[in-house]
Amino acid sequence: MAVDTAPAPALVDDRAPARHVKAGAAYAVLGLLLVLAAVAWLGGRTTTIAFDRTLTDASWEAPTFGVVLGLGVLCAAAGAWMLVGLPQRRFKPASAVAVTAFALALLFWAYSQEGTVFRAESILAGALFLSMPYIFGALSGVVCERSGVINIGIEAQFLMGAFTGVLTANITGNIYAGMAAAMVAGSLSTMLLALLATKYQVNQVVVGVILNLLALGFTSFMYDQLKKADGFNDAFSVPVISWGPLADIPVLGPVLFQQKLFVYVGLLLVFVIWFLLYRTRWGLRTRAVGEHPAAADSMGVNVNRLRYWNVTAAGLIAGFGGAWFTLGNSLAFNKNMTAGLGFVALAVMIVGRWNPLGVLAGALIFGFTTQIARDLSAAGSGVPGEFLQMLPYAVTLVVVAGLIGKAKAPAADGVPYNPGDK
Amino acid sequence: MRLELKGLTKRFGSFTADDDIDLVVEPGQIHAILGENGAGKSTLMNMLYGILQPTSGEILIDGEPVSFSGPGDAIAAGIGMVHQHFKLVGPFSVADNVQLGREHTRGAGVLSARAARQAVLDVSEQYGLRLDPDAICEDLPVGVQQRVEIVKALSGPETQLLILDEPTAVLTPAEIAELLQIMRNLAEAGTSILFISHKLKEVQAVADRVTVIRRGKVVAQLEPTASESEMASAMVGRAVSLRVDKTPAEPGEPRLEVKDLTVVSDAGVKVLDGLELTVRSGEIVGLAGVEGNGQTELARAILGLVKPDSGSIAVDGRDVHGRGPAKRIADGLGYIPEDRGRDGLVSEFSVAENLVLNQYRDEPFAKGGVVDAGAVRRRAVDSIAEFDIRTQSPEESASALSGGNQQKVIIAREFSRPRRFLVAAQPTRGVDVGASQFIHSRLVAERDTGTGILLISSELDEIYALADRIAVIYNGRIVGEVDPDTPREVIGRLMVGGSADAGPGPATDPDHPANDEHANGGDR
Repeated sequence: MAVDTAPAPALVDDRAPARHVKAGAAYAVLGLLLVLAAVAWLGGRTTTIAFDRTLTDASWEAPTFGVVLGLGVLCAAAGAWMLVGLPQRRFKPASAVAVTAFALALLFWAYSQEGTVFRAESILAGALFLSMPYIFGALSGVVCERSGVINIGIEAQFLMGAFTGVLTANITGNIYAGMAAAMVAGSLSTMLLALLATKYQVNQVVVGVILNLLALGFTSFMYDQLKKADGFNDAFSVPVISWGPLADIPVLGPVLFQQKLFVYVGLLLVFVIWFLLYRTRWGLRTRAVGEHPAAADSMGVNVNRLRYWNVTAAGLIAGFGGAWFTLGNSLAFNKNMTAGLGFVALAVMIVGRWNPLGVLAGALIFGFTTQIARDLSAAGSGVPGEFLQMLPYAVTLVVVAGLIGKAKAPAADGVPYNPGDK
Repeated sequence: MRLELKGLTKRFGSFTADDDIDLVVEPGQIHAILGENGAGKSTLMNMLYGILQPTSGEILIDGEPVSFSGPGDAIAAGIGMVHQHFKLVGPFSVADNVQLGREHTRGAGVLSARAARQAVLDVSEQYGLRLDPDAICEDLPVGVQQRVEIVKALSGPETQLLILDEPTAVLTPAEIAELLQIMRNLAEAGTSILFISHKLKEVQAVADRVTVIRRGKVVAQLEPTASESEMASAMVGRAVSLRVDKTPAEPGEPRLEVKDLTVVSDAGVKVLDGLELTVRSGEIVGLAGVEGNGQTELARAILGLVKPDSGSIAVDGRDVHGRGPAKRIADGLGYIPEDRGRDGLVSEFSVAENLVLNQYRDEPFAKGGVVDAGAVRRRAVDSIAEFDIRTQSPEESASALSGGNQQKVIIAREFSRPRRFLVAAQPTRGVDVGASQFIHSRLVAERDTGTGILLISSELDEIYALADRIAVIYNGRIVGEVDPDTPREVIGRLMVGGSADAGPGPATDPDHPANDEHANGGDR
């Protein structure tokens, strides 16, 4: 953004410390609730943890009552400490301790039901796999928004990628051709956004909404048409890549060395895009164009051309993420099968503060909670399935409110640029 | 570099922004371009820097005609520009801002942070411009940000011509003095400088040659020894009186009483710290001070936009505690905000609508909750005539007006209803000579009707021209109240927290005329 030379207005009602007082109070109350719950319900229960893939014989039993009580006390103590005057610079770590303790306690509680076992390796491996659509979607969003173009059409790119990927794989019989086609489809979708946003300077939010509806309508229509014939929408499966002996390491093996291609591409992309953004000429210019396009223009950077190609390229990533839904899960395409995850990916981008590493952290939290919810409902815990499906979003709210705080978007995000603007 | 412009013309549709401009800048020369807002200075510089393409005419560098399709070409040709609105990416470090567009890489597009830092250090050492390459730009004071801009402009492959577009608009007096010295040093080292300004004192202090532009045409070539009124007349196109005629004030009862006012900012800093101030009817109190010492918060607290943490404000003898801005305005408080774009105008609204923003709910502009467009328009026609607002029509949107005319809209709005007390914050900022003369005389006329006026200005010239009493603000306190015949050095010392007695004040330097005479240059 333009460096603001005017002094900021003093808004007395909106002081920073008040927020931490509220957070401290919230942690203290949540911690005490955990203690009460432990005393009331958890006496005599145990939580079983198993390494189900590598050390199939071993499992550990922990006393639920003691663990939840201890974590509850820890959470309450962190909150209380914030209330009575912990130095401000230690608020973040204290918050992290409180939130982690609370989440772990819930986990121990949830897996203390009769017949539930916390299968650590399956759950963690599944969590990583489930975080992939968020990673692809959010990284695509990061590239767009760091360039100053809002892309709320990630859902559209997912749908296009999911559909085109499986269709092309069917036609060619080659799953990798399907992945490539998915990327192209996603890219065509963002290219339209790029064109309208830079050349015609249409409102980017409106374009994004329209793209989403257009993609939903188009893929649903094509799905109905192709259903009439055979051999266009059959499931293809991606092989699991196993790294030999590495795959037998407890925990790490199943999580990192026995996954599908999508996981490796996703993890690699996180670091590649981080490097490109912060360590290369392209990244410097991209961030400049998203923060203060006039500054970049005055130094000879062609703002709209860079935005156009960045947004177009970002579609490749989101389109590949779309292929995860069909090819990655060995599924045929189905109407609206992305189920709004493109919007969750947008949230992950914001939670991750427009930074690829933050995106990775946010996506892992979402992937993990989604996996827990699935696992618990499969194990038949007493909690209703709909409530469990709420879990990832409830956790996000707590994390965003407690740890992330106010996220600052690139200053020129969503603002069209005309050469000669101030 | 010898720069020559021959018959340079730029038309936007039927409007001619620049018409047949001829200009020569010799190597090592500081060439000032003087002109009112909208005279075509910025368009001219944008053509020179490749942002706009001329309709006709040519640019010659060392005798060779050149054409620029973008700023990149101009930079490659050895031209650097410091824009009026800084072009710095706030969250970037100084080194990253300087290397943007011509990055130091280790091949394959990978940045070399070390080379970028070293390049900044080299340039800053060569020209004596101290900078920390790792500092984040948005955290730097405005004066240092400008230094970053200058280093950036000098870091081109072989920058030999520097364009400075109104570089002093946002600087404090000490920073202005420093900038003028930097310009002299650069010129001595052989860099040609095009200096765009409408501050006559700065031009006199630093320029070797002065070209005056009016309505897109070169109307005069002057020596810097020309008098201020000569330059002003050339700019405006008629004789301009640089003095404001005013009689001694006849102060009456207090119209503003601020007692022990304290305001704490979000960051927990006391921006106003037990401030005490009284303004009486029929007097103008000038509030002098370096920007950022609490002036903004004081003005906003008086209007009711900021809630005081302690202390009291009384307008016209009545404590305004608990009364919102609308009620205070209805009580007879007038307010000319320092940032007209943000607080003064609804830029997409028409001139007519902006002229009644503070009274659209009242008779005769509204009847039974419905705005009477006819009455609003009649008021607009009257105000446009009375305040000489240059607009195509009352229906034109306020954003289409020049800065000076936008300010006249605000002045007209505030002066068109009875009021008891007026806060005028930076009333002539970014306003050209003709319009600021007009605004000044209206403020004095307003005072003569008995209104109390608090004039907040970072231009000492403006304070001297108008104030009947001068209060100096520093760190949220009034550190001195003095008569308007107090010498500049004394006020300069107070402004930076020194005492009024003689002593080594940080902002004054007797060897440096720019410091105490020219650098504070206002619009006259």
